[in-house]
Amino acid sequence: MKVKEIGLFVASIISAIAMFGLVSFTQSTAETPDTITLINSGKAGGSFNARTQMYKEGLIANGYNVEFENIGKISQAVKMFKETDKPTIMVYANNQVYKQDLFHTEQNFIMLEYQQPLYVCRTNASKNKTGVLTVAHGKGYDPQLLTNLLGSEVVLVPYKNSGAMLKGILGGDVDMMVNNQGKSFKYIASGEGTCEASNVLPIMGATVIGTNIDVKQIRKVIYDISMDLKFIEYHVKRKLERPSSSWKEELEYTQELEKGYEIN
Amino acid sequence: MNELIAVSTGLFAGTITGIVPGAGVMVAMIVATPLLMHFDIIQLLLFYMSLASMVQFTGTIPAVYLGVPGETNSLPAVIEGTKFNKRKMAKLAIGICAVGSVLGSLVAVAITFGLLSVLVEHMTVFFSNATKFYLYIFIIAFCLLVYNKKNIFVNLVLCAIGFMLSVPGESDISPDFRYTFGIEDLQFGIPLLPVLIGFLIVPTIAKMVSASNPNVFLPNIDIGFCKVIKHFKKKLVASSLRGSVIGYLCGFVPGVSTVLSTNASYSFEKKLHPNNPGKLLVASETANNSGQFASMLPLLLIGIPITGSEIVLYSMLVDAGWSPFQFDNVSNNADMIFKQIVPWFVVANIVGLVIAWPLARQVLNVFAHSKKYMIAILAVGMLILNTYLGVLDYRVWLYTICLLVFGCIGLLIKKYETVPLIFMFILGNDMEGVFYRQMLI
Repeated sequence: MKVKEIGLFVASIISAIAMFGLVSFTQSTAETPDTITLINSGKAGGSFNARTQMYKEGLIANGYNVEFENIGKISQAVKMFKETDKPTIMVYANNQVYKQDLFHTEQNFIMLEYQQPLYVCRTNASKNKTGVLTVAHGKGYDPQLLTNLLGSEVVLVPYKNSGAMLKGILGGDVDMMVNNQGKSFKYIASGEGTCEASNVLPIMGATVIGTNIDVKQIRKVIYDISMDLKFIEYHVKRKLERPSSSWKEELEYTQELEKGYEIN
Repeated sequence: MNELIAVSTGLFAGTITGIVPGAGVMVAMIVATPLLMHFDIIQLLLFYMSLASMVQFTGTIPAVYLGVPGETNSLPAVIEGTKFNKRKMAKLAIGICAVGSVLGSLVAVAITFGLLSVLVEHMTVFFSNATKFYLYIFIIAFCLLVYNKKNIFVNLVLCAIGFMLSVPGESDISPDFRYTFGIEDLQFGIPLLPVLIGFLIVPTIAKMVSASNPNVFLPNIDIGFCKVIKHFKKKLVASSLRGSVIGYLCGFVPGVSTVLSTNASYSFEKKLHPNNPGKLLVASETANNSGQFASMLPLLLIGIPITGSEIVLYSMLVDAGWSPFQFDNVSNNADMIFKQIVPWFVVANIVGLVIAWPLARQVLNVFAHSKKYMIAILAVGMLILNTYLGVLDYRVWLYTICLLVFGCIGLLIKKYETVPLIFMFILGNDMEGVFYRQMLI
């Protein structure tokens, strides 16, 4: 009876080990080279989210098995990107690199999707104003750079994001704002003031990066997806400039652009 | 179909929440998190609307039958409703409250429709930092003066704790991570859910455990729906309309909102008809529903939550991608209120009137006989939810530690209302940005 019980116990352990091996094997074989994890680092309604969704559809159409990780927050998405050991891609931008401590390199750079300048907007009401001007800016902008550009006779007012800045200038908080292209176009449309593209402030470059993946090989797929009609409409509607060239040149250009966001 | 799911789940959750003493809309929102995290913006709003409306309906039931307020604003219903119950007329009391609630909701919608175009036209006023600054001052003042029996010191301490908890991580005015003490997970701030469970659910569970068992139902005279309507039309329409208007206006007051609506309307009616429990009951319960709709408007239009439960909704909406900072969203928001929210709101109220009434009594019966099991399910459910969200957020250890710490503190301070703490925790970062900018401008 006792021997029988011991036998049963040993058999159970062997079965458990076998099951574990089987599960591990199934998991490893399920992850074929065509399985890609796509991290969504943006919230619904935002550009990161919209672009990620379009890449997801494109990758599926190209026969990839997409594991979609809906993170919604850039800092957490970057954390996951750094820690994962699976083939993973993510939509990214050069204005995040210093804050997130994740730079564009030969190992992770896939493509520069578009670029857009920053705009300096001014309210009609402040056109003849003399003395100190109040300027709204994103919290991540370098205050020194803004002071160099706008002079010392300004009070810099930090805002959480581009939307909050736009609301602030429309609400009469500030005389000027430094904002991205999309929000500046909306401000121009409101008729409350004017905006000009800055050739001094850094240019924002929207990119796609990857890890645990052959970046040059996946670039071909990603590039084709980004040349799809849906993507082109997205870029045209927002007047986003597309600086397509070779992988190497795009990487060098992106690395050059990201230096503009270094905070002193 | 998605809207129907949101509304029906909201109605069901509202039915239970209104009946379980101590479990308010805020607690219901947290308990429903696993479902709500899959909802989009409209679904979240519909769920909340249905939940909050239904709570106003069913909150009256334990108040009338058992003399226990289901919601904090059901106190007038306790005072006047028990008078009905003693005369075996509880069904009439609940019936006139339900009809009055529907009328109150409809009046609120009509007033909003009349005022909305004016409001949208002058909307840029609400964009300015100064407006938000004064609103926040107003909200803080109410937090200090309203909760915990107006004990300013206690409220101040709770506000300070809430603010301190909101500080770690990234601020609204600087890109740097602060007070993370070298813990990488703290870069994203202290997670919301353990704070809500610790400071809200744990004290609620503790109160439910220590609460005495509900009384036995008194026998009641059966009164039909048509008779209730007839009685309402004949004697209570004027009180109901007065209650609707008073409730609507008071609904905009931050922090107290529907509590003020109910009590202000009750006090006003008491001056007019001091010895008429029917009119007093209807005036206060109508004000409740009207105030509920009004209290949603600042959040829906300009993204400023003014009640505790709206704060939770606000954080869920932002997580779902809602951007109250978008200036072009204001007219869209107004559009959304009348095209997507109001029709369902009306439906929810009518369904509430028909379904909540019989369903609530059944739920009340179930709760009275299986309270300890429901408490156990709630406690285990919260533990699982916290771990699940921690795993999803890649911060399971931080979630667990926070839950343990905040749960213990929550137990220690269970006799206090923790809403000021939650307010400051969720809005602390935004407040800091607004106050800082106000100094610069």
